[in-house]
Amino acid sequence: MRGIQLSLNQTQRLRLQTALELLETLSSKASLNASVTVADTIPVNYEDGVLKGHGTTELDGEVVATVCGVVERVNKLVYVRALRARYKPEIGDIIVGRVIEVAPKRWRLEINFIQDAVLMLSSMTLPDGIQRRRTAVDELNMRSIFEENDVVCAEVRGFQHDGSLHLQARSQKYGKLERGQLLTIPPYLVKRRKQHFHHLEEYGVDLIIGCNGFIWVGEHVEAKDDMVVDDQVNKSEQHSSKSKSWTSLEEQEQAYTHAETRQNICRIANAVRVLSTLGFNVTLDVIMETVYLSSSSNVEIHEMLGAEFCVLVAESEAERRSSSAKRKG
Amino acid sequence: MLQNKSFVRKTRQGRVVKVVREHYLRDDIYCGASFCKVCVTSAAKLTPSDSAILVVDTNVVLNQAIPIPTHPRFTLGHIDLLENPGIDGVVLLSVVLDEVKNKNLAVYNRIRALCSNALRKFFVFSNEHHKETYVKAMAGESPNDRNDRAIRVAAQWYQNHLGSTTRVVLITNDRENKRKAIEEGIAAETVDSYVKSLGQPALLDLLVHPPSEDASMMEVEDLRPSKKKVIYTEHKPMSEITSGLHRGIYHQGKLRVNRYNPFEAYVGSESIGDEIIVYGRGNMNRAFDGDIVAVELLPQDQWHTEKSMTIADEDDDEEEDVHLAPGSADDAPRVTNLVPGSGRGVSSVSSRPSGHVVGIIKRNWHSYCGSLEPMPLPAGNGGVAHALFVSKDRRIPKVRIKTRQLGNLLDKRIVVAVDSWDCLSRYPSGHYVRTIGDIGDRDTESEVVLIDNDIDTRPFSAQVLSCLPPLPWSVSSEDLANPIRQDLRHLTVFSVDPPGCKDIDDALHCTALPGGNFEVGVHIADVTNFVHPGTPLDDEATQRGTSVYLVERRIDMLPKPLTEDICSLRADIERLAFSVIWEMTPEAEIISTRYTKSVIKSSAALSYVEAQARMDDSRMTDQVTKDLRNMNKLAKIMRQRRIDRGALTLASAEVKFQIDTETHDPLDIGMYQIREANQMVEEFMLAANISVAEKILNHFPPCSLLRRHPSPTKEMLEPLLRTTAALGLSLDLSSSKALADSLDRAVGDDPYFNKLIRILATRCMSQAVYFCSGDLSPPEFYHYGLAAPLYTHFTSPIRRYADVIVHRLLAASLGIYKLPNIFQDRPQLTSIADNLNYRHRNAQMASRASVELHTIIYFRKRPTDTEGRIVKMRSNGFIVFVPKYGIEGPVYLTLRGEKGGGEWVVDEQQQKVRKIDGSVSYSVLQTVRIHMEVVEPQPNRPKLQLTLL
Amino acid sequence: MEYVNPEGIREDGRRPLEMRHLHAEIGTVARADGSAVFEMGNTKVIAAVYGPREVQNRSQQLNDQALVRCEYSMPNFSTGDRMRKPKGDRRSTEISLVIRQTMEACILTHLMPRSQIDIFVQVLSADGGTRSACINAATLALADAGIPMRDLVTSCSAGYLNSTPLLDLSYFEDSAGGPDVTVGILPKLDKVTLLQMDARLPIDIFENVVQLATEGCKAVANYIHEVLLENTKQLEYRRGL
Repeated sequence: MRGIQLSLNQTQRLRLQTALELLETLSSKASLNASVTVADTIPVNYEDGVLKGHGTTELDGEVVATVCGVVERVNKLVYVRALRARYKPEIGDIIVGRVIEVAPKRWRLEINFIQDAVLMLSSMTLPDGIQRRRTAVDELNMRSIFEENDVVCAEVRGFQHDGSLHLQARSQKYGKLERGQLLTIPPYLVKRRKQHFHHLEEYGVDLIIGCNGFIWVGEHVEAKDDMVVDDQVNKSEQHSSKSKSWTSLEEQEQAYTHAETRQNICRIANAVRVLSTLGFNVTLDVIMETVYLSSSSNVEIHEMLGAEFCVLVAESEAERRSSSAKRKG
Repeated sequence: MLQNKSFVRKTRQGRVVKVVREHYLRDDIYCGASFCKVCVTSAAKLTPSDSAILVVDTNVVLNQAIPIPTHPRFTLGHIDLLENPGIDGVVLLSVVLDEVKNKNLAVYNRIRALCSNALRKFFVFSNEHHKETYVKAMAGESPNDRNDRAIRVAAQWYQNHLGSTTRVVLITNDRENKRKAIEEGIAAETVDSYVKSLGQPALLDLLVHPPSEDASMMEVEDLRPSKKKVIYTEHKPMSEITSGLHRGIYHQGKLRVNRYNPFEAYVGSESIGDEIIVYGRGNMNRAFDGDIVAVELLPQDQWHTEKSMTIADEDDDEEEDVHLAPGSADDAPRVTNLVPGSGRGVSSVSSRPSGHVVGIIKRNWHSYCGSLEPMPLPAGNGGVAHALFVSKDRRIPKVRIKTRQLGNLLDKRIVVAVDSWDCLSRYPSGHYVRTIGDIGDRDTESEVVLIDNDIDTRPFSAQVLSCLPPLPWSVSSEDLANPIRQDLRHLTVFSVDPPGCKDIDDALHCTALPGGNFEVGVHIADVTNFVHPGTPLDDEATQRGTSVYLVERRIDMLPKPLTEDICSLRADIERLAFSVIWEMTPEAEIISTRYTKSVIKSSAALSYVEAQARMDDSRMTDQVTKDLRNMNKLAKIMRQRRIDRGALTLASAEVKFQIDTETHDPLDIGMYQIREANQMVEEFMLAANISVAEKILNHFPPCSLLRRHPSPTKEMLEPLLRTTAALGLSLDLSSSKALADSLDRAVGDDPYFNKLIRILATRCMSQAVYFCSGDLSPPEFYHYGLAAPLYTHFTSPIRRYADVIVHRLLAASLGIYKLPNIFQDRPQLTSIADNLNYRHRNAQMASRASVELHTIIYFRKRPTDTEGRIVKMRSNGFIVFVPKYGIEGPVYLTLRGEKGGGEWVVDEQQQKVRKIDGSVSYSVLQTVRIHMEVVEPQPNRPKLQLTLL
Repeated sequence: MEYVNPEGIREDGRRPLEMRHLHAEIGTVARADGSAVFEMGNTKVIAAVYGPREVQNRSQQLNDQALVRCEYSMPNFSTGDRMRKPKGDRRSTEISLVIRQTMEACILTHLMPRSQIDIFVQVLSADGGTRSACINAATLALADAGIPMRDLVTSCSAGYLNSTPLLDLSYFEDSAGGPDVTVGILPKLDKVTLLQMDARLPIDIFENVVQLATEGCKAVANYIHEVLLENTKQLEYRRGL
């Protein structure tokens, strides 16, 4: 059990155990039997010819795993899908990252990859949405776009020849994320989907499930607002200098997030936390189900990280999976 | 199953440390009963033929009948009983063994020996690690109670495990434990009741009697009205002693009783840098010789009054009191305050601190040889008699024992162990262990000598003998073909030994080389070819350490076939040897040294006399004689060089007996004569030893076995200096060379003078000792007497185990054999070296005691008048040395009973004693005429008495 | 001293060829990429692995392989006496180096160029064999972090006391001053990656002791394999899909 240390009492432990056992029976036997650890030999049919993929190596003519995970076979290709590992980027992945450094013409982002990712100023749609050559002035004003520790949403653009990862944010939906919570969960719990941006209207919350395991839960922001707020570069400069000296009432209201929304953010964030603690797949459905479960069973937000709710989630997940398995069957 | 035990311990630096150790509980510990159906019985020792399985409590093994917490008594308890074959089928629990080990290592070793003895049915049950018998200490339970409970649980387990057909008896002397055991349904008995139920009176004598019985014994023994009188002061509790030692009120040290006067003892105390004299049994307060005691100093004004008091108090004990002048006791090295002038002898005593024993920190009790004080056979009392045991060693007080076989024992030498001594009884109480033989019988007395010196005289066991090669043995073709062995049979090898020597372990050869140089070889019996490490034979030899030479017999380290035949380099027989071969110039410079295993064929086994005669007889020109002469020439040069280097020529009064071949009684007695031939052989042996020492140390710096002789300290040479100063000689002690030179200069008017000085000097030296080279730093390796930086023993492997070790080291350094594992284990090697030193010292003591014994036998029928030399002064007499017989003994000027010795005055500085009117005076080294006679002042303790003529 | 009594039982009740209880737990440090606790009897070690991640000190960056760093520490509370020890003393520097080199030998560093892997090992309670426990814990943590490795390095120590080879010395036995051989092996490749001893032993006994320690390593490897496989299976079935 990772993350939160649960102090379970006797019955809770028993319930959790039963739920987990149920999950075990439900999961496909094939994938469990295909589990390997480091240095395990992977049985392959040599007559067909073998292509060794990620997580494998050859030793004395045998294919041997180099990581713990599940053996996957695609035609001739044999590879080991590592479970717990850092994020493995694919082009087009939507990710959430945190700015580590503002460098010449680029930002460096921590995205749980083996290196920091690079977001070039040139692969960035400026807040005013104008496509134009980046001037030296733009370069000087980079900090007004993203500063260190800002949370940013972007898309994987590709690898450079030197192995570094480049990102792009050429759309209004990308950009700085404010007024919310960033959660980091193991990337293997996130599955690549068509949709990673979710607007949960009933809660007034945006949920971005980054492929790299960074999950953003924040107040809903209208895409248009961005353009209205951030007028022009020089204006925003004034803006920031103004905000330092005094804060207008209007801006206060702008910066203000309603208590209800805040609670919703926390509830959703905690739902994600519980799921990641239990090691369950994190998808929109499951998150929402967990949120409903918490509110329907009147669990306070702060109780969501407690043992009892954790067990509840495990039980409902077991139930959900078993019913879906029956449906399929 | 896992248990953690945690305890708090104080480190040496005084910090408190919490120690947590794991404790695994097992289910594969078996009961050890061969008839058990559940357990694996491969290691079983208990058989159904035993009447009962005995589970013994710790207090049975150690005698702790009434444990006094503040005053633990470390004694040998019923171990004697357990060692008797009458008791068998015993289960020893690991908890008991642990307790025994913590309290008394000697008993632990004995009990371990019993357990490993295949003939005895002693089984060790690891109850502490058994899943079902492990007991966890309960809150508030003392460790003692917990252990008692563990013993009961284990006994219960045995009963349940083996079923009701087997009788399991818990033997305990603790009443409380017995009561609880019976409550829990375990059959429990005390030792007494159990042994009584066996109905063997011989076993009953072995029992330790709890001190509570002493009261009744006193009624029998002491016919005094005040039988409950407290004779000795109570010992202080341990806590008080510890704090007293800290505050400097008490002084800790080893108590040593004066050999000539058992009422006087010394405690060497580091805290005051001097020795504290303890006068009288009252002040000694039940301490034995060798005990570690705590002493409190008496007020200074009592320092001399104590003495006269002591004599008055102890008049019932018939002992001669030699009132010692300071600095003359037992050759003890110590600082002495010299009182100048002609002060009275008594007043000089008061300058030394005296004290009394307040507590005993560690007992040195073991078993003692002696006899029972003659007494009439009591009529009734159910055959049980109380008797007083008189030890042969005068330093040991009489011991009270209880016996059922008084009639048998009265005229026997017996062994007795001491159990306890409480302050109500005058004498300690003990128990009978075994009988040696008839008093006065020479064999018995020799046996006593051997037992006193802890020498194992048992015949070699079958296991040991099975390690011997098949007899008759001869050099085989494989030996000759062995590439490690060089064939030296063509050399003219010969041996020179004392006459009648059968264990010839060294032989020599000397060949003139074409260039004028000589090839000299020392060939040593190749004992390690037959004694392999790890065999029972090797273990036995390790234990024995050395052969012991008594006047009439020899106790071998190795079995006779090896000693006298297979290893012995006898004449005209091919033998295996380990050779050291030098090439030497005619000036005896060593050019090269070679070591090899070899096969030799000795052409002559000469005695020293024969060899000397050959060398002296100019008509003889055979090869052996020529070689002898060449060797002698070389040896003389080597000897001179050694002396120039500073080697000491020391002397001792070695005595030789002529023994009647029929009766083995001594016929004649005389000084051992040293000839040139002896010195020649000695010289080459020294050279071989030194060469080998260099070789092995070079190869194995951390694990070589060497021999060192520490330089004597100023204090040790003090008595010698005083004597020579009185004679007007000055000795230079700055180095061994300086001392050797000044000894050479010390020539008196008569020929024996120089030798006498050398004998005195020898006595001041410390003993040479074996040590493991890893334990000391190279400067400490020095051999003072030989003036050699390195020395070891290589040349007598038949009779010394150290040489066997050195042979193995040398063989390993040549790459012939692997180094045995033992050399990796330095603590073990150190313990072997310690054992060798102990055995060596004991062997010497035994030899000396044997000489003493035969001297008495010799003079019993022949009272003699002879000349003696005064070697030491005492307040009421002096010690005389008789060169002719090598005897030393006290001569009294004042007769016993004439107290105070007012007539005679000792002059410390002049080393003189003179009559107060100045009419007669004696000085040190003066020649006196004396009369020698064997007297028996106390029954069964004959001694040689010297009187002035 | 008697470390093995004539009944063949050691001070703590084990037989000479027995190991202490092993216990391992994976995922004990929430924020780390991989972490594990490894216990050998009373010796308890926690390891955390961070990375592969951006190299902190650019000048150390290697263009063809990952940089492996290791930090070993032994807090005051880990031993019986709470003596204050200066950080970075020679012993911990040495053990850090030993662990780093041992782990580096099995990590496929060339797959992660220009990155850095940090291994932090801390002894929570020391009772002999800390070196071995550290290596075992680090192996588990690395496997948990999903870092590709040639093999699982496992380590175990063996000693030689009372003329008996003893497996997995406890602190009590270790402080006897006898030889203590720490062996680290790659069980699948059947190779030795670590062999340490700071005493003298004759070569034939040494071979026996090393053999014994190697057997111990294999036993540890079996245990570690089981733990990892169980952990992987659990992650997989919990994730569902």
